[in-house]
Amino acid sequence: MSMAENKKEAEKIARCAMCADMCKYSCPTYLATGRETLSPQKMARLIVYNQKGLLEDETGFLELMFRSAMCGACSRHCIYGDYDLRKFIHQARVRAFDSGFIPDDVKKRVETFRRFGNPNGDRAPIDRGAGHIGYFISCSSYGDEDLLRATEKVFWKSGLGVGRFGGGDMCCGAPLYYAGDMEGFKQVSLKMKAEIEARQLHRIVIDCPTCIKMMTEIYREIGVQLDVEIMHTVQLIEELLGEAKLRYRKEKRTVTFHDPCILSCDLAMSGLPREIVAALGFTLREPVYSQDHTHCCGASYGAKIGDHCVKDAVTSMRLDELKQTGADVYVTACPACKSVLSEIDMKYITELVAERIVAKR
Amino acid sequence: MKVKTYMSQGGILPPGFIQKVRRIVGDEHFSQQEGDLISYSLDYWMYGVFLSQKGDLPSLPSAVIAPDSTSQIQEIIRCANEYEVPVTPFGGGSGVLGGAVPLKGSVILNLQRMSKFLSLDALSLVAEFEAGIMGANLELELNNRGYSAGNIPQSLFCSTLGGWISTRAAGQFSTKYGKIEDMVLGMEVVLPDGSLLNIKPVPRRSVGPSLKDLFLGGEGALGIVTGATISVHPLPELTVKQSFIFPSIEVAVDVVRQILRAEARPAVVRIFDEAESERYFPKIGRKVTTIFISEGESEYATLDARVIRRISKENGGRSSGKEPSDIWLQKRFDIGLAPVLMQYGGIVDTIEVSALFKDAAKLYRDMVAAMKAVEGALEVSGHYSHFYREGACLYITFAGIPKDPLRYYQDTWDAAMKATLQNHGSISHHHGVGFWRIQYLERELGATGIRVLRSIKNALDAQGTLNRGKLVNGGE
Repeated sequence: MSMAENKKEAEKIARCAMCADMCKYSCPTYLATGRETLSPQKMARLIVYNQKGLLEDETGFLELMFRSAMCGACSRHCIYGDYDLRKFIHQARVRAFDSGFIPDDVKKRVETFRRFGNPNGDRAPIDRGAGHIGYFISCSSYGDEDLLRATEKVFWKSGLGVGRFGGGDMCCGAPLYYAGDMEGFKQVSLKMKAEIEARQLHRIVIDCPTCIKMMTEIYREIGVQLDVEIMHTVQLIEELLGEAKLRYRKEKRTVTFHDPCILSCDLAMSGLPREIVAALGFTLREPVYSQDHTHCCGASYGAKIGDHCVKDAVTSMRLDELKQTGADVYVTACPACKSVLSEIDMKYITELVAERIVAKR
Repeated sequence: MKVKTYMSQGGILPPGFIQKVRRIVGDEHFSQQEGDLISYSLDYWMYGVFLSQKGDLPSLPSAVIAPDSTSQIQEIIRCANEYEVPVTPFGGGSGVLGGAVPLKGSVILNLQRMSKFLSLDALSLVAEFEAGIMGANLELELNNRGYSAGNIPQSLFCSTLGGWISTRAAGQFSTKYGKIEDMVLGMEVVLPDGSLLNIKPVPRRSVGPSLKDLFLGGEGALGIVTGATISVHPLPELTVKQSFIFPSIEVAVDVVRQILRAEARPAVVRIFDEAESERYFPKIGRKVTTIFISEGESEYATLDARVIRRISKENGGRSSGKEPSDIWLQKRFDIGLAPVLMQYGGIVDTIEVSALFKDAAKLYRDMVAAMKAVEGALEVSGHYSHFYREGACLYITFAGIPKDPLRYYQDTWDAAMKATLQNHGSISHHHGVGFWRIQYLERELGATGIRVLRSIKNALDAQGTLNRGKLVNGGE
């Protein structure tokens, strides 16, 4: 980054540190903990003070940086259009990692990653089927048999030729990115690039919004460009329904859709999943906090939120919000959200579609 | 601590107090960590925000305590009295007069964990909330159920219900829906001795002076509001937006007077002076622009809009359509320019006052002229909002790039307050007193008024436990 760019970035966070904190009403970690310190403007003030050498408690500061959900609610509601606080929090995490400080929860996840090449641990690789369309099985989808079975059914019924790959040491690298391990992340991104190039794919379908964010926006930022179309599963389903490649039986139950934060904020896909749910005949029952106002589920700790107490508080808050709708079925479009919100029998949207498919075209 | 404080230092807390409070709220909700002390050191008092750029803060709290129930707050207050520890309540931290700054060794009583929507009584049109709920979330909860509180302040996204009550707040739609004192039917308040006052929600009562009014504007110095029942409104069926250009502020103010006299009740009425009109509506430029938003059932909103249109046209108003209302609705929460100006050494702030119609236009002229005359002034502009049949709130924004920031800030405030009092206005319409406005309070209330207010403070809080150094300097 040039000096001028550095100055511009410094001005942005200094501006945020003096703003009225108008985005905090949507910040899940602030709301779930009731702690002003975790509100975006206060995080910005502490980052600025840390840069100016005004803080004594470096460890306390770095711990706070790992308490953000990195969900982007603040940037979505920012009165300045050119700013994302997450970048500054991430820079602090990188510094924390480089200086050897990371919270225990994060450390465990990074150690697992270093040993097995993924955050789950020892697992078999998946490599089956063929075609120019690839289905990348994310770490959160791996092991979710209901989701994988439903996905297979959708592929089969629609007659789509798809090559499935994932598992083993194939991962987008998100856990390393959120831990601040940029060297490790770069290596993983290059490995992923080689993996995709070897498969000669034109298009990759992914269930996990975070994988998509990593493999598009974040890879680009570190100079790794994937020459392939990457799409989220809801985009594929919408395409298949639109082309009448799937026949389904309509349903009358009520559905609450939980907007995954990255899907709704970074990928701007709040409408598509609702269109799919409505097309299947379900009646949508919106929670108070949905679409632009959705709250992060907490995701798995050790990744975005590096503190299990904050993560648990965020998850508990989101569960309470969703339960209030009293819907018959809860659906989402992120396998990590599905796992974290399992208490309300959360389904992935592909499962909902697969249940309704009646015959092969 | 490397940050500097310029008003007071955080105190050293008695170990017995720390031990007891930790037991009440749990270890994780009692903090003396540097990050927390800095985060609760300041609200949105603009001069304080300006100084905070360099790490200069008014005062650090001795600790931050975050209870999650009224009973915990009662226990904490009793404990604070026992150990003589002053307590400053903190809601959203959006106050602009320093009301939540923890002066004189105070601990912060953080109310943000008490933020639940409790119930909606759709038959009676009332809803109950815990006081720490953020305004925007209160509205989202109600909107999801088909209702609105009708209180939409510019701070909607960073202020709390408890803060609205404690500062006697007003929202942008107040001409129809009223101010916070018109909305609160009942409330729960922890008094400075730790006892609980429960004011049940009823439309009105006649049992002596209204006790709830003690806390509507009590600024956390007379009690801590922990929950409230407020009136709600069904979401409007129809919204009609209009705007008119008038030849002068005087004409515009008089037109609104006539409209309210005719019993029309637009939710939003705003008269922008030439400078603000140019900022908001570049296509209109330097003209006096007035926007009106009527809403409610279709029949009512249509009639309301018709009365407004007729009176505006009869008085030479030129319609500029609905676009200015739409632009204002889009921009109304955007205060992004202030931090940018402050980065370049600018001082920015707002002052809201009120006056009867007979004084309202002259007050604007005098106030703007006096504030513009202060050395270092860059811009002074204003608008009227929050109308009544009898008068209005005048809201002035000022900015300067002075050589001596504090001198400029003080002189501008002095000029504004002097012009207000000379024009028989009130020195505050809805921002409250905090610590910054205390210096002007006696000229507003008179010595007798101050004596009454101080007597109330002393009767409730002889020890001065709650929000020390705010509202009145009682009990010290």
